Amino acid sequence: MKISTKKIWILGILVALGLTIYFPGHQFARAHVNYQTGVEDHPLSCLNCHLYILSTGPIAKMVNEDYYSPINLAVSKDGSRLYVVAQEGNALITVDANQNKVINKIGVGELPHSVVLSNDGKNAYVSNQWSDNVSVIDLSTSKVVDTLQTANGPAGLALSADGKVLYAVNTYSSNVSVIDLETGEEQKRLEVGNNPTGIKLSPEKKLLFVTSRRAIIAPYGDPVKTEMTLINDSSRRIEGFKTLESAHIAENVAFTPSGDIAVVTLVRPKNLVPSIQVERGFMMNHGIGIFEQKKDGRIIQLLLDEPNAYYADPFDVVITPDGKKAFVSNAGVDCISVLDMDSIRALITVSTPEMLNSYANNLGVSSRYVVKRIPTGSNPKGLALSPDGKKLYVAEQLQDRIAVINTESMETISTIDLGGPKKITVSRRGRILFANAGHTFQNQYSCYTCHPDYHEDGLVYNMASKEMGRNLTNTQSLRDISKTAPFKWNGKNQTVYKQDGIRFSTVLTRTEQFSYPDLDAITSFILTGIFYPPNLQYNPTRELTEAQLRGKAIFERTVDNTGKEIPPENRCITCHPAPYFTNRKLADVGTLAATDDSILFDVPHLNNIYASSPYLHDGRAATLEEIWTKFSPYDKHGVANDLSKIELNEMIEYLKTLSSPDYYESLKKEIHTENTSN
Amino acid sequence: MKRKSSISTLLIFFSFSFSSVFLSSCGKKSLEGMMICTEVSGKIQQQNLWKSDTPSRIVAVDPTQPEGSIKALTEGYYSAHSPEISWDGKSLLFTAKQKQNDEWHIYEMNLDNFKIKQVTSSDVNCSNAVHLPNGRFVFGLLTSKDSVKTGHPLFTCNPDGSDPKQITYNRNAYSALTVLNDGRVLALDKTSSSDKQKNILMVMRPDGTKAELFYEGPAGSNLISKVSETTNGNIFFVESGPGSQDGTDITSISYNRPLHSRVNLTSEIKGDFQSVFPMPSGKLLVSYRSSETERYSVYEFDPENKVLGKPVYSSSDYDVCEIAVVHQHVRPKKLPSEVDFGVKTGLLLCQDINFLDPDFIKNSQVLQKAVAIEIMGTDSAMGVVPVEKDGSFYLKVIADTPFHIRTLDENGKILNHSCEWIWIRPNERRGCVGCHEDHEQTPENRVPLAVKNLPVNVPVHIEKIKEKKISLE
Repeated sequence: MKISTKKIWILGILVALGLTIYFPGHQFARAHVNYQTGVEDHPLSCLNCHLYILSTGPIAKMVNEDYYSPINLAVSKDGSRLYVVAQEGNALITVDANQNKVINKIGVGELPHSVVLSNDGKNAYVSNQWSDNVSVIDLSTSKVVDTLQTANGPAGLALSADGKVLYAVNTYSSNVSVIDLETGEEQKRLEVGNNPTGIKLSPEKKLLFVTSRRAIIAPYGDPVKTEMTLINDSSRRIEGFKTLESAHIAENVAFTPSGDIAVVTLVRPKNLVPSIQVERGFMMNHGIGIFEQKKDGRIIQLLLDEPNAYYADPFDVVITPDGKKAFVSNAGVDCISVLDMDSIRALITVSTPEMLNSYANNLGVSSRYVVKRIPTGSNPKGLALSPDGKKLYVAEQLQDRIAVINTESMETISTIDLGGPKKITVSRRGRILFANAGHTFQNQYSCYTCHPDYHEDGLVYNMASKEMGRNLTNTQSLRDISKTAPFKWNGKNQTVYKQDGIRFSTVLTRTEQFSYPDLDAITSFILTGIFYPPNLQYNPTRELTEAQLRGKAIFERTVDNTGKEIPPENRCITCHPAPYFTNRKLADVGTLAATDDSILFDVPHLNNIYASSPYLHDGRAATLEEIWTKFSPYDKHGVANDLSKIELNEMIEYLKTLSSPDYYESLKKEIHTENTSN
Repeated sequence: MKRKSSISTLLIFFSFSFSSVFLSSCGKKSLEGMMICTEVSGKIQQQNLWKSDTPSRIVAVDPTQPEGSIKALTEGYYSAHSPEISWDGKSLLFTAKQKQNDEWHIYEMNLDNFKIKQVTSSDVNCSNAVHLPNGRFVFGLLTSKDSVKTGHPLFTCNPDGSDPKQITYNRNAYSALTVLNDGRVLALDKTSSSDKQKNILMVMRPDGTKAELFYEGPAGSNLISKVSETTNGNIFFVESGPGSQDGTDITSISYNRPLHSRVNLTSEIKGDFQSVFPMPSGKLLVSYRSSETERYSVYEFDPENKVLGKPVYSSSDYDVCEIAVVHQHVRPKKLPSEVDFGVKTGLLLCQDINFLDPDFIKNSQVLQKAVAIEIMGTDSAMGVVPVEKDGSFYLKVIADTPFHIRTLDENGKILNHSCEWIWIRPNERRGCVGCHEDHEQTPENRVPLAVKNLPVNVPVHIEKIKEKKISLE
């Protein structure tokens, strides 16, 4: 009896202790989650945040998977083989197209983008966007036999008509490498449009068309214009530029076999219209550009969208050998739009310029030429036709799968599993949500539409959160933002959970908000799955040049050129310290416009800043230089008015070398090791 | 021995518990798969049953064995109609009156236990309630002396009838409500005006914002039934053709392009249709009669092959005129609301009042450019506002106040006054491309000059917009 009483006492004490810990603990957890999410009903689950937002370490490895993420593909001349670029798998996957089976996986460089086969079909060339080179693969041995150097960020590839030259489109450096395939040397670089990707040789083998994704940088209010660059294949020179008005994100281009028309995928943003509603296409339209190839040929734009259904993020386009059908992959809505080319020809033939101008903004006209929408797996990207045109192969990027579509029946007849992980991790689900427009009213845009490559689109929007015409917003990159809170230019969102929560749906997506599991998944992806490309353009050797070092000294200086001490709050390094180059605070750098609410601005991170023009919260600075030469007359954005032009240029050169935070963490470790060993 | 007895006691206890649960569940017959129909005993005279003197009732019928399975759900009510089933298949909303001289009100039946609760209780007629994805109901408020002046506004309320909120303010007569899969409310607008009878479907968010035209039938046609949407984007309803001499037909439109996808599915079928309900199988259940001497019965209809199937249910004593089926379906999207009752105004932006789409130019005489707009209230003019050089205007309008806009030339002469009545909800921001634009036109990507200045207050004589108490009744 005595023992029982003692046991009861112990049990009672334990229960009391447990309750003492539980209730305040629960209260603390509730308060913590409420703060993190900005709402009061997000489920209290520690794992959702503290497990799935881990990006490094053994636990992160356990909860994540390595996917292949096919992006582009090519078909052998006899149609028996598919060569699939596995973007995240850093590989070229060979597929038996008759058996629908993977044959082998050939390792290539980092983040491969495109593949093209040599004219004799013996070699495959794969662009490695994060290695700045092209892998040459001997298809008989499935071995990489050579590596060709390019400029920064090679993506689309094309061969010259004689097969002797490879053109590699360098997305990050906005040029095209002309590579002699006999010597393997880069002969020259041709400067092309902003952020180019796709390239195609016209059927008459004279001109190459190179697409651009980012518009020409221009002050807010000027029309959005994106260039198509024409390269003369014989002279290997720029033939000229054509302009797509009011459009951007021109990913890929295709020609009809007769060569009468070139078709390019594009997005028509409405960034200059206050973002007051989604209805009636007020935010984003998706379509194609048509370049007539005859003399004085017109440039026409037609939408793929319908009045109540949008077909976000068109990526690739192919045209059947008979020139009758075009297929466009709509990556944001998981479908292929099938276009009747004769209907398009008929429409543009009878239409006046006024009618065509109107059609570019008309959601109903697509019913005249879109004959079918073929559903696909998640995130259809690259397309390739079999040589006879009877089969269409679709790289379903976030499904790790190739879809095979019968081009006559316009039905999916089979799929090819590339052998990636079957498990969909939380972060992967987040990426699928990110790339899909299903969480926006009528599928008008996905997160990816404004953040292509998970970066930013180079546009400034009038988000019109209160009144129209006020508070212009330069789109910000999402690369590695996990440690750069707060978010938004006004710094109002302390976490991504809050950023993408209920307010996000009220002012941006205008449909049902993310469920909490979906919110957790998309946050997991944003915080762990988006990385900086290596800064191979400005910091390829990890050794700064003399000029860059001088620029670094200016960036870190404490006294100006007259010897006067710069107040700490006005030194570059105070607000922009490594590794993220942000102190995560709000600041006034003298950029408040009359049309801005009176606020301070979040200090942006500067990693890979060279790739994020335009600059400042409203994108008013087209270049880094303009931040100081035009928009900091009173030295409120750091002291720079004492700098000579050369000194300012050197500081800019240094800023352009800023790379991913990992780079600075590793530098720190190296210095620490050196110091310890000394 | 004692342990054995305890086990036996436990077994008996559990057996009893399970039996009780089993037996009690047998008593509750699930309505899953049952048809819910409105039956009218007399001749159907009015398309809106609430206007009719003929009583109606709501019954549940097993479509696989209709005979003997009929269960009257609204016994004790003088008349009941407009059944609508929630997406979880657990709740039935209907409009009913208990006595002949009562007002029409909204009732909700719990389909698990058939208990009915009255939702609305005001001294005006309430009708056509449907479930909103946010748990509230939307319904029409009706007066028996409806006119252009009074209209039939739409309201939303909580499931217990509390917190009623008016969402339309343009004095139009709305009825036959449906919630689209995208979360918006679709309502039949049959407002009569001196020169024409409107026959359109309007769509709006559940808070009354972003109201716009969804569908307009051909001239002389008449929408008869409530609209039903399938999961694959087809929308069905019953419509009479121009002149109505050929009876009523089932019309199909596509959600993606409702204004230009009209197909008459039953032009080859003689007779009349009264309502349509899509089945998960893709087939439709339709209320149909082959001639005026027959009663409306429920038939199966194959919309793909346009073939009327066998009768599913008929009654010699009643016209079976409305159909719903109890089944779970995907909840429509729960749309966020931008309405803020702390704000007393809304903003309206027009990109180019002079925008003319090429087809309009071909068919119109009006080519003269407008330089101003006049905003007309219900009782008086609210002011004249000059438009910018690019044709744009930007207004801050007192919320929840109906107005329409007419365009003026440089001499103040009216160029066009065909704009519909518009209302802006508190804190709503709405845009339009122009007045003569095709409803499928998206804005041109350019900054409208008007937004470079502050919005013009409307009514224009008000220098500062005062606080306004918003009346919900």
